[in-house]
Amino acid sequence: MPPNASSAAGKISIEFAALAEQRVYLMRIARMELRDEHAAEDCVSDVLTQAYERQATFRGDSSLRTWLVSILKNRIIDLLRKQWREQPIEEAPSGEQDFDNLFDETGHYAEMPSHVRDPAELCQEERFLSAVQGCVDKLPKRIGQVFVLREVFGSDTKELCKDLGLTTSNVWVQLYRARMMLRTCLEKNGFGNAQPG
Amino acid sequence: MLRLSCQQASRLLSQRQDEPLPFAKRMRLRLHLMYCAACTNVSRQFDTLRMAMLRWRDRD
Repeated sequence: MPPNASSAAGKISIEFAALAEQRVYLMRIARMELRDEHAAEDCVSDVLTQAYERQATFRGDSSLRTWLVSILKNRIIDLLRKQWREQPIEEAPSGEQDFDNLFDETGHYAEMPSHVRDPAELCQEERFLSAVQGCVDKLPKRIGQVFVLREVFGSDTKELCKDLGLTTSNVWVQLYRARMMLRTCLEKNGFGNAQPG
Repeated sequence: MLRLSCQQASRLLSQRQDEPLPFAKRMRLRLHLMYCAACTNVSRQFDTLRMAMLRWRDRD
């Protein structure tokens, strides 16, 4: 099929250029999930090729981006399952003792967590978004991968269990750890001193 | 035990980002948040995190 095939007989046809336009977006989220530039490149190229070949299955009732992200997500889940099968880790323990050092002996926070004055406004700041990204990239790999699947790819707990072969409590522990590590990380360079000076 | 520690509350705050809490837990958490400024701040931090991830994803 020529790259600029136009629609015929009411079928939606996607121009290759329209797919290519989504590449930067897909790369950004694939990179955050996979933490490997080459793996992300391969993955996104496969996704775009697959999308082009299977464009007949694109119904046009979701946006092109949404459709591509769903293909990418499946691809990533296959990859993670494979990686995790090859390098299994022991189930994370319950998480009961997690972050004990953040709390005093009475179970209160040893340091007062910062108050975020205006979340919506803060999330408009490029500086803050970069700080968040930096903190996500620093999470232990698997914790980060589960978190990014949840928050960026929108997997819910059930999907995460099914797709990654984890138990519900394990998923909760991973997401809990991710959030607690992120909030600690962002106390240093995000939430607290929103504007220096 | 009726009263939640902040550490227990932090786990519920995370859990409720992922699914609705069962009634009893929801009530205990709500009660805790009424008098605990620290956990109220953490709750807001978690909400901010979610918002930030979506913003990060969709900025162009």
